[in-house]
Formats: sequence, structure tokens, C-alpha cells
Amino acid sequence: MSKIISVWLVGFMLLFVNQGLCAKKLSNKQLTIGISQEFENLNPLVKQMSATSYIYSLVGRSLVGMDADGKTSHQLAVTTPTLENSMAKFDGKGKNRTLKVDWEIKKNASWGDGKPVTGHDYKFTWKVAMTDTISISSRDAYENILDIVVNKANPKKFSIIYKSPKWNFNRRFAFYALPKHLEEAIYKKYKSKPGAYEKNSMYVSKPTHPGLYNGPYVINEVKLGSHVVVTQNKHFYGKAPKIKKIVLKLIPNTNTLEANLRSGNIDMISSLGLSFDQALALDKKVKKTDMGFDVKFKQSLTYEHIDLQLKNKILQDIQVRKALSIGIDKKGLVDALFEGKQYVAHHSFAPIDPWYTDNSKVVVKYKYSRRSAKKMLDKAGWKLSADGFRYKNGQKLAFTIMTTSGNKVRELVQVYLKDQWKKIGVDVQIKNEPARILFGETFRKSKYKAMIMYAWTSLPEESPKTTFHSEFIPTKSNSFTGNNSMNWKNKKVDAILEELDGEFDQNKRIKLAHQIINFYTDEIPVIPLYFRADVSVVPKKLSGYRLTGHSQLSTNHVENWSVE
Amino acid sequence: MSNYIIRRLIQAFFVLIILSYLCFSILSLMPGDPVDVMITSNPKITKEDITRLKKLYGLDKPNYVRYFNWLTSALSGDLGYSRVYKIKVEKLLGERLINTFILSVCSLVMAVTIGIAIGVYAGMKKGSKFDYIVNFISYGLISMPSFWLAIVLIMIFSIWIPILPAGGTRTVGDNSIVGLTSILDRIRYLILPALSLASLQLGIFVRYARSAMIEALGNDYIRTAKAKGLGPSRILWNHAFRNALIPLITVVTLSLSGIFSGAIITETVFSYQGVGKLVYDSIIGNDFNVAMVSFMISVAMILTMNLLADILYGVVDPRISYK
Repeated sequence: MSKIISVWLVGFMLLFVNQGLCAKKLSNKQLTIGISQEFENLNPLVKQMSATSYIYSLVGRSLVGMDADGKTSHQLAVTTPTLENSMAKFDGKGKNRTLKVDWEIKKNASWGDGKPVTGHDYKFTWKVAMTDTISISSRDAYENILDIVVNKANPKKFSIIYKSPKWNFNRRFAFYALPKHLEEAIYKKYKSKPGAYEKNSMYVSKPTHPGLYNGPYVINEVKLGSHVVVTQNKHFYGKAPKIKKIVLKLIPNTNTLEANLRSGNIDMISSLGLSFDQALALDKKVKKTDMGFDVKFKQSLTYEHIDLQLKNKILQDIQVRKALSIGIDKKGLVDALFEGKQYVAHHSFAPIDPWYTDNSKVVVKYKYSRRSAKKMLDKAGWKLSADGFRYKNGQKLAFTIMTTSGNKVRELVQVYLKDQWKKIGVDVQIKNEPARILFGETFRKSKYKAMIMYAWTSLPEESPKTTFHSEFIPTKSNSFTGNNSMNWKNKKVDAILEELDGEFDQNKRIKLAHQIINFYTDEIPVIPLYFRADVSVVPKKLSGYRLTGHSQLSTNHVENWSVE
Repeated sequence: MSNYIIRRLIQAFFVLIILSYLCFSILSLMPGDPVDVMITSNPKITKEDITRLKKLYGLDKPNYVRYFNWLTSALSGDLGYSRVYKIKVEKLLGERLINTFILSVCSLVMAVTIGIAIGVYAGMKKGSKFDYIVNFISYGLISMPSFWLAIVLIMIFSIWIPILPAGGTRTVGDNSIVGLTSILDRIRYLILPALSLASLQLGIFVRYARSAMIEALGNDYIRTAKAKGLGPSRILWNHAFRNALIPLITVVTLSLSGIFSGAIITETVFSYQGVGKLVYDSIIGNDFNVAMVSFMISVAMILTMNLLADILYGVVDPRISYK
């Protein structure tokens, strides 16, 4: 009896060992990607999570996209409509002026079930987005549309008519279509009941139906909170992807992503994986021992900065704000903490943004000088006391700086800043909160007392209206919308921001953006710190992979990936 | 006894209702409702969007109305939809609950059987080398951070000796894994998380079993049994162990009450698709329906296991009776 048991045990052990040791060889047959962020269902209209956008880009395409160089590229559209090629035309005058934009979808563009993608899909999507019972978070992309007219003779051609013309009419990166032939019946059935359409949509009930997707891949298997498997879309309009199957595995603990990579459980780590400090550590290991991976870094548009609370009486003094900025050695910060792989920021536009400038006539730069910072504070009446801190009329020059607790990188930056400011006699106390409370309450309602450190990301040439315009100072009357949490009010900036949206001349737009930068850096309502870098770990054998640095993620170009 | 059980079940029902209201209220008191959370991630949301979304999610209504709506639909069998995933709560939780149950039961069975056996033996050999070693190891296991142990196990069995997967619940993307291979595949993914979870519980059971056994063996009735000339195994199992079972029942039943709650750290480190992280995310993300159902399962399990413990006390100790 014991012999039989022993044989069985040995058999099981061998099977386990065999399965464990038979690690698959990386090839174009399958690529397994690790992500650390949760994803939701793939209905493009209601998706909100970054990981969902990452996955959706494998299976869905927009009319136009943005490539890794920040340039607009055609996806489903034959060409990009512009005023110059007469595919976009104004109609009417003054406030009644509308803009008609003609789009044409590629002839062979079809859904995964072979049905053509047409203007009817876009019109249907717009109709669904504008329905009050649908839980779409923002209608920004849809509410400026007056009508969508589909060409009767050729439904591949359609026109979007905008109520209020804006220069970025042809940058419809997030206008993903819903397949009318599959979703219309569901929409009609459930549209009157709040939240019912999206819960009964085929993206929920039959997420593996190929007809829901028009990208290079279709969903083969999806398990929320675990993994997604995509396989090639036979009806994809563009270049067929070389990798046959892609598996995306959710590994929520970033500490174990590396272990999963080294054990062969995953082949690469996406840009939604490692934190920056982990990437730096792995980069060193990878360079020391040939592990067959490359850690890729790409400068991004994610802007780390400190909002200064302008309701704070001490911070209302511009000399104090400038002294605080001059008192930080930003170059030293990025070199010490990020080994120079993240980049010093002088304002909110990143070097990869066409609106970026470092022209000293435009940008007021604050070169690090402890002596100048001390002089400025002396001039502002803040005198150094024996305890090493400054006082004015018995009040100590002291602030609190807040950020998201548990974010190791930001906590390190805080310590660095505290030390730097202490050297000029400013006492800074760290007070952190969980992201949920910090962003859900403290930041959103502008409740912080002095400083809050966080980041936001954007696309190139994105208007900072919701962050800089005084209309977007969060108050009860506007339901605390807007990100101007520093309470910055500048009528000239407001006027420029309003003009910016309606300016169709690229050069004039750049000039307007530069005017904003000038006010922003001169009045210093925010202390810019650095631009983050996107990181990803990819096998050396993988070619064609490029990090983008913006919100149109690397999976938008998945058809270029190949295992050599 | 049956009257007692019925009385306790009725009490449990009211406790569930009261606690559900408390949980709902505490969730509502957390800063920022689901729409607030959306605003922070999307600067383009307008005032009109907020009014529309608050109405859509029923957040414009007072707390007690929202609670009543949730309760009536839950009692009618409709647990609602996850706001985040837009799928039915039972569909979202179903498979994860089974995964968590399998993981918890496997680790608990390992911990209880090994822990009690070692603890009983150490109790019998109090002061021996074996007892000292067991004490040392069990203290070590209790004090060991679960994430550290998990990472060490991954390093050993997935990287240095790559025989087990570093994480997941099963092999994905391979359609050839079916039948017995599929079961073996699931077991391979279960070994490390179960081992990690069991190691932590093992120390606790060893400690409890050992001290309960030492206490039982020191009682007068053991001396009497020995004086009567009873054999060592009869003294051990019929007299000492049976009396040592009462504190062990409390510990084991309380551990059983957590079999559906999930082990958030273990599940997260091993990317095991259980309910632990989902519950945490649902609380943080204000996904009310998911969080409430998870709360209710946890509360119901604690109440049930407490009742079970009370019944078992009566079974092992004839002096305890319920009227």
C-alpha cells in the first residue's frame, strides 16, 4: 500500500516539476504582459480606468490616434480633416458659427464579425453618450456636437457638426465607436432605466463577441480581476499583428511583478506596472546580469508639482512663493532620487509638447540659490531666529505639505524638500493622507492649508483651462469641479484660455500658450518639480515596441510589435 | 437545543440588519462619494455631469432612503450591480468566493491538522527539546510578516527552483489544459498561497493546542485517571484532549468564520483571484453593493461560527447544556 502511495506521490511531484520546468519559449505565438492596475469591462463609452484603456487599445481603434512621437496618425479614418484640405468648413457667423467636419472611414475597416464600421456607428455612439440614463463620466467629447449626418450613398462617409468650433476638432482620440448592429437593440430596450444599458451591454454579457471590436485583436477570454486574452482579429483593416496571442495578467502587487517576470510567468511588464524606484533597481540588476530584458524609460507628460494654497496669507506674498521655488535644487532632486531619468520641470508643458518652451523671455526660471532665497525672505520681513527658522511679528514661517500616503517616491521627495527648505529657515511639516481622502476631499474641495504635491497627465497641446481658469476654482456652487485648487485668479489668463480653444492658427495658439506660461511662471501659484518618465520592462527579443509618454498608450501600436 | 438554535438564529437576523445599517452608514461617512472619486480622475467633468451622475446613482437621496432601497432589493434576492465593473455582484463575487473558500479551507486544514498534532505533542512533552524547538518555530511563524513569507516562497519555488508558478489562479491562454491536467494545474497555483497562509495560522494553533493540553494534563481528573490505572492513550484522548478541545473549538470556529473573507495580503502577493483585494478595492472605490455583500457574508459567517462553537461546546462537554 505504502509503495502505491509513494509511486503516486512521485508521479505527482514529477508532473509538477515537469510543468514548472517546461517554461514556454518566447515567440510570436504568445506574449504575456503583467499589469498591476485593475481593469473594468471594455465598453469604450463608460470605461474609466487606465488599465482598461491599455487593453482596449489592443482591440479598438479611434478615427485618429497619436503616435509615440506625439504626432496625429490616421487609424480608422482615411485622412485627417483640416480647414486646409476643406474637409472642415465653418458655417454661419459670430455666436451662431458652426463647424462641419467630414470624416471618411477606411473601406476595409470592419468589426471583428466582418460587419463594416460606418458613420451610423458614430452617430449611434453619440446618441448613447448623450442619454441621461447612461453613466458616462464626462460628455466632453460629445456635448459640443450639434448633429452627425451620415452619407446615404456611402455610409463610410459622415459629417460631425459642432455647435462651438474648437481648434482640436480633428483630435478625436477618445471617440471610440460602439457597434450599432450589436448594441442598438440593447440600448433601445434599456435606455429608459438608469444605468441599465451599460449593465446589459454585450461588453458585459458577451465580451468575447468579435463584433464588439475593430482593432488588431479581439477578446478571446476575459476574467475581471485576473486576466484578458486577446487573439488576432481576422477582419482588422490594417497591418496584421505578428504576435498571435497576447495575455494580460493582473498582478496587483508591484513587488512580485519582477519575480513573475524572472520566473517566466510573464514575458514583460507594461507601463502600468512598476513604480519608478522599482524600475531603477531592476534596471541596475538587468545591466549587471544578462536577464534578457530591457528596462525602457520614456519622458512623459505627467507633471509632478506642488500646488500652493493662495488663500494662505503667508503664501499670498509672491516673494515667499518665489523664495520657496529658488530654495529647491531641482536638478539635485532628480539626480539624487531618479538618477537623472526624470526631468526638471519649469512649467506645466513637457518638452515633448509642441507648446513647450524654455525661452527665458517667456519662462521665468528660478535658478537654485540658497543665498537668493534667504535674501528674498529677509526682504519679505521673515527674519532668521536662533532656532534656525524664520519669524515675522511672532509668527513662524511654517507650512504643511501633503501628498498621497504610501507613495514611496513622493514621500522621498517630501523629505528632500523639507530638508532644502529648512536650510533657508522654512519649517515644513509632512501631513499625508490616503489617495482616496486626499483627492476625494482635501484636494477637490481645496481644503489643504499650504501645499499639496501630486501629478496630472495630459495629451500634447491640451488646454490647461480646467486647472488655470478661475471659473474652475472648486466651490460649492460649481459642485467642486475643476482643478484650480490653488485658487489662482488672473483675468488675463482666463481670457487667453478662452481664446485658446477657438484659435485655429497653430502659431497663434503657441503664442497664447506661451503667454499663459509667462503668467504661470511669474506669479508662481504652483511650484513645478519634474516630469515623470514612463517605464516598462520588455524582452530584448521584442522589436517595434515604443513607450509613448502620453495617454495614448503603447498598445495603440501593437501591430508593430514582433518577437525576433 | 432546537429552541436555543431557533432563538439564536432570530437574534442573528436582527444583528445582521442592525450591522448592515451601521456598515452602510460608515461607508457613506467616508469622504467622497463615487462621483467625487470620478471627478478627481477626470478634470473634464462638468457641474451638469455631477448632477446627472448623482441622480443616476441615487446619491442625491438621503442615506436612510438609499439604505432602505438597498435592503429591499437585497432581501428580494437582487444584490445589485458593481458600480465599477458594471456586472452583477453575485457574478463578480461568485467565482472569487469559491477560490477564496478553496484557499482558506486548504490552508486551514493544513494548519489545524499539523498545528494541533504538534501542539498536543509539545504539550505532552512540556520542557523537552522538542517543546523548545516547537515554541521557537511557532513564535517565528506568528511574528513573520505574511508578505515577506510569501515573497520568500516565490523566490525559492518560482525563481531558484522553478517548479511552481509565482502567481495566478490557473494557467491562462492555454486551451490544451483540460480535465485532470486542469485540476493539477489549479493545485500547482494553490500550493504557494496555501502554504504561506497555513504557516501563519500554524503557529497560532500550535500555541493554543500546546497550552490547552498542558492545562488539561495538570488537572486533578488526570491524576485520578492515572490512579485508576487507565492506559496512557485513554487518558490522553478521552480525558486530556477532550477537555483541551474547548479553547481549540473557539479558535478553530473563529478561523472558520474568515473562510469567505479572503486573505488580502496573500491573495494580492500571489495574484490569486479571491475576494480579499476585491473587498478592499470596493471599500476604497465606494463600490457600495460589492462592499455591503462582502460585509454581510463576513458578519453572517461570524454569527454562524459563534453559534456552531456554542453547540460544539455542549457536544464535547456534557456539563454544558442549552435550554
